Amino acid sequence: MSTNRTGSSRRAFFLNGGAVLGAGVAAGAAALAAGKSPPSKDSAQELEQLRDELNAAADREAVRQLHLAFTAMVEAQNYAAAAQLFEEEAHLHAYRQQSAPSLHAAYRPNSLQQQDVLTLSDDRQRAAATFHVDAQICTPLEGEFTVARMARLQGQMADSRWETGRLEAQYVKRAPRGEWRIASLRYVAT
Amino acid sequence: MSMRNYQRLQMHRIAYSDLSEEQVAQALRPAANGPGCKSPLSSVLAGKKLKIVTDEGGPVLEYHFRNGHDLELAEGGGKPVKAGYGALECRSLVMVSHMIPGTQRGYQFVVDQNSRLATVFEVSFSGYAAQETAEAAQAKPKPRAPQLKNGHRNREVQRKVWFGYVDDGTAAPTARHTYTNRLEGKGIYWKQDNDIEILEFYLSILYSNFIELTRFGGEMTVCAPSDYVMVNDHTFIYSRIECEFSGTYTLQVIDLFDLTQRGVRLGINEKDQLEYYMYTGKGEITGQAASFEVFGNNSETRPGPRRVYRPIETFETLTDEQVKEQCLNHAHAFGDGQGSGAAGMGGYRTEPITHFAGKKLTARMDNGPVIEYQFVDGKNLKWRYEGNANWREAWYEMYEPDDELYFFAHLLDAEYPRSCAMVALDMKNGLSTIVKGTTGTPYRNNETHPTYYFGVFQMEGGPTPPTYVRHGWTDEMVGELVTWNYQKGNPGLTSMHFYATPNAYSWIIFQPDGSGGLQWSSPGWYSKLRDGVYIMAWVEEACNGTLGVICFNQRIMHDAGFGFHVGSNGLSLSVVGARARHAGKFDYKKYISLKT
Repeated sequence: MSTNRTGSSRRAFFLNGGAVLGAGVAAGAAALAAGKSPPSKDSAQELEQLRDELNAAADREAVRQLHLAFTAMVEAQNYAAAAQLFEEEAHLHAYRQQSAPSLHAAYRPNSLQQQDVLTLSDDRQRAAATFHVDAQICTPLEGEFTVARMARLQGQMADSRWETGRLEAQYVKRAPRGEWRIASLRYVAT
Repeated sequence: MSMRNYQRLQMHRIAYSDLSEEQVAQALRPAANGPGCKSPLSSVLAGKKLKIVTDEGGPVLEYHFRNGHDLELAEGGGKPVKAGYGALECRSLVMVSHMIPGTQRGYQFVVDQNSRLATVFEVSFSGYAAQETAEAAQAKPKPRAPQLKNGHRNREVQRKVWFGYVDDGTAAPTARHTYTNRLEGKGIYWKQDNDIEILEFYLSILYSNFIELTRFGGEMTVCAPSDYVMVNDHTFIYSRIECEFSGTYTLQVIDLFDLTQRGVRLGINEKDQLEYYMYTGKGEITGQAASFEVFGNNSETRPGPRRVYRPIETFETLTDEQVKEQCLNHAHAFGDGQGSGAAGMGGYRTEPITHFAGKKLTARMDNGPVIEYQFVDGKNLKWRYEGNANWREAWYEMYEPDDELYFFAHLLDAEYPRSCAMVALDMKNGLSTIVKGTTGTPYRNNETHPTYYFGVFQMEGGPTPPTYVRHGWTDEMVGELVTWNYQKGNPGLTSMHFYATPNAYSWIIFQPDGSGGLQWSSPGWYSKLRDGVYIMAWVEEACNGTLGVICFNQRIMHDAGFGFHVGSNGLSLSVVGARARHAGKFDYKKYISLKT
């Protein structure tokens, strides 16, 4: 296997949004790549460009992992930990896990996931993403009467249903360690 | 003939002592010798060595059974200890029970001599507080305060269930005993070799309820968190712990082919005395309730640890002054005329009846109140006791649970204790029944209690009431099971009522997969208005204290009723309306009717 083939293969790997990015962000990565000029033949420039692309891929993967961590924590009802994924002043728009009449108990990627988009700002300090999901919408059981208390003790909801929607999120990279945080989150039923 | 002994206090009224660890240790001292038993204990293991290996990091137990009474146990390769034990056989199964001298721990296990499969119950005393504190710290979505209001509960047996096999040096079997729902819905009358009689009902996969005929006279049913393990299609292992009460542990092998049981009872009773014995028993099926899981669901796994409902621990107990304040200054009926809405237990209430507006009537109870009514409109009425000059105003709601049978409720005088009237008017028969709810019992200020009155009513244009005929008490509902869906959703807010005795009922909360989950019970009373139409009342004693009164029409499988409650959020009178399904009926009245 030649060096040249390796570089070509790796570039293609990133540009096509392969395994590292995952299908969920392929469209965004492709869109980003489409706006770039062809790689220079100058090896230093090519190396720099590859470094940029590698860093960008790492950022996208970090954002994607942040999204996965968020959905896993929601499903595990680990809201305290989920809150740590957000910026202090994060905008949650219509998204309110604990106080809404209905809450989201779980998310699943759905058949529209190939339309997911994840884009980075030029300085790679901010990102925006759209994740297509099926959301489990639960209505909490309210009331202090015995039946409701017992049902809640079993972890039950008044009602539970799945609906198709998308999570629209913005992310920001925090200094000094470069950790990504959720700056805003919005759920839209579709 | 049942050997029934009425008791001055039922279990939920007994103030079980909060024993110290030292007191428990003292009480357990005789357990070192092993359990007693009226029937001959088995010597099948005498002289044998048995190594039980359990899954998921459970104990490895190496036994040497010296004879039919004494064993040596090495736990996890440790130093052997001596203990007395008991064993009983059920076909190829052997049930063994022993404690470990000098400790508050022991093992109860069932091994199958053919399949080599084993189920081990590791039991211990004085472990509630530590376990509860740990669970509270891990609670989601956020940690909660541990439930220690009623003490450390050292008397309450804790159990861990381990599945495994007997290691005889050959390849380990791959099968295991499993948790199951295959016993769910069954009821069995048991008579033990020690003449103890008991009715058991396995209506949940997490709980069971039972009617103690011999020990408590069969008046009440009580509930206990339970385990159900399947050995094969006719043999099951069942255990329960009488949490919230004495904390006593029971383990049984149930053989449905010949309806026999082998069991062990381990606990400290209300006199703080050790009860530790094995027993055999003979049973009789009393019926089978429906189960509501989808087909193919055999509940072979459990989603996490078994939950325990602790109403005595978790519900508030108010002082006399606190309840008085709520009764006099924070009393609300039906949203003070805004309507009950469809929240809570009224999600399926029918349309309120308003056409009594402008009408007057008198409800005349035998040996009870005579109340005159003027219905001002669809929400307001005026009432006064006969002979009293002053009319009082009150909010009311009225429903029609059966054709021309009306049921309405309102608060009575703003005095302490505070009362309400729930009034049934039977327009076809001229009969009336009033359930008067009043705050306070000798045990808790914020409990309620009902008083039933049967009588007639008189109304211009109304029927001529009969002279002797009355609505009256009935036991027709005893043994029936009915599911009640209070709101939309599956299972949402849905419970199953089990009308267990003429004086008690139990309710089961369904889990999302349709299986029975948490369960509790209370006293309950039943009266008959018409064929298939009943008033059922209950008080959630030692719980939230609510008086619930429903008029249940079995023809339309619907009810109309009211809830009367006082707590720190005020005194309330609210509506109950739910849709029902029939879930089965047990036949055991011969065991609970009055003694002759």
